[in-house]
Amino acid sequence: MSPTRALALIVDDSAVNRKVLARHLESLEIASREAGDGLEALEILRSGGTDVGVVLLDIVMPEMDGYATLAAIKADETLRHVPVIMISGVEELDSVVRCIEMGATDYLPKPFDPAILGARIRASLTAKRLHDLEVESAARQAELLQTIQRQKDELSRFLSPQVAALVSSPEGAHLLAGHRREATTVFCDLRGFTPFSESAEPEEVLDVLREYHAMMGEQIVAHGGTLEHFAGDGMMVFFNDPVLQEDHIERAVRMAVAMRARFAELDAAWSRRGHHLGFGVGIATGYATLGRIGFEGRYDYGMVGPAVIVAARLSSEAKANQILLTERAHAVIADHVDVDPVVEVALKGLSRPVPVVNVLGLRDAASVGAGAR
Amino acid sequence: MSDGDIPVLDAAILAELRDATGGDAEFIVDLVETYVTEGAANLEGILAAAAAGDPVSIVRPAHTLKSSSASLGAMRLSAIAKAIEEAGRAAVSDGLKEEAELARATWLETLEAFAAAGLRR
Repeated sequence: MSPTRALALIVDDSAVNRKVLARHLESLEIASREAGDGLEALEILRSGGTDVGVVLLDIVMPEMDGYATLAAIKADETLRHVPVIMISGVEELDSVVRCIEMGATDYLPKPFDPAILGARIRASLTAKRLHDLEVESAARQAELLQTIQRQKDELSRFLSPQVAALVSSPEGAHLLAGHRREATTVFCDLRGFTPFSESAEPEEVLDVLREYHAMMGEQIVAHGGTLEHFAGDGMMVFFNDPVLQEDHIERAVRMAVAMRARFAELDAAWSRRGHHLGFGVGIATGYATLGRIGFEGRYDYGMVGPAVIVAARLSSEAKANQILLTERAHAVIADHVDVDPVVEVALKGLSRPVPVVNVLGLRDAASVGAGAR
Repeated sequence: MSDGDIPVLDAAILAELRDATGGDAEFIVDLVETYVTEGAANLEGILAAAAAGDPVSIVRPAHTLKSSSASLGAMRLSAIAKAIEEAGRAAVSDGLKEEAELARATWLETLEAFAAAGLRR
């Protein structure tokens, strides 16, 4: 039997009655404690050392009678759930009705019938235990929700916010399993990063990367892009997945133009420190397979398709401050962007040259980006 | 039914109590001893309140004596205590002293009955 087993608290001013009741309970294997009046009972209830599962309460008592005791128990937030059974003679039924109206659970008529006594007390002890379990499980649930929220918060620091939200969404499992969709991929990286990282101190390289990631990360979030990965100075971002975006090509270009503008600010500061870096972007659109990619223990939310390869190749092809966009993607948003004339670019691994434009800037004033020719 | 028709000690109730509490004679003897101490105090309370003509303060000791007497089968005393309690609740002070004296006499009879039943140490 558990050491914290709930017991019955007998509250009666007659020691004879307390002893008789305690003896009855003992034969029913129910442990009990005794109090001679309401004050003593409240002291035991509030001491916290005793797990009282049911109070058996007499009505007529000195100091503090049954009514006052019952009222005090029901007024106490920490005690009101403890079941109270009134002990009464048959001639006291009017008082019993009043007590039940005040919140008493039941009554036990005297003299006690052992069967009824056992049944009523056990029912009350069970009700109390269920209440305690409910409180406990509610607390555990709150703790669990807190943990989930914390994990989500942690996750969203490592994953793109879209993917973090996706993981915990109802349709998440389906999307993670893999699906095909048209999407726009943006690759960007720094020109001259490799020689810079070879010559600079590691701390300096990390500082530069940190500033660069922070600034670019802001733009990714601001434009609703999904960051697939960072790798050194390289980043891959895609649009239209997992969140559908009708204007995914335009968003990608706007983000690239904004990134280029922010890069110019970084570059000015780096130049003063003697670092000479450039920023290049490749953008392509097309159907791709998206979902969970990887192996047990390490999965990424990723994208596979020819557009990914084209965007990656264009990013390597781009000179400092160039944003190379496939003509196919450009055609969709031609009214919104200023570009250089189309050129055909031969890309490694692709059998045919790809028609490409260099984005100079956006036509509306909302986004500003100075392009390099 | 007048109080005189009620047995001082109801053997059936005592037997029932003994059975229900595990048939332990020692427990009953112990209980009677508690009853004697507690009953004497309640009887004193009744006599004092009656002497003072105070029906309000007679209620609680009368109620407790009624209840503990009934637990042990002391039914005549329980009936007298009940009448005193009711008179007290109704704030009737007439005849309280006589009732209290009757309670004292019946108390002594009850103690003798317990002794005769071999339940006093």
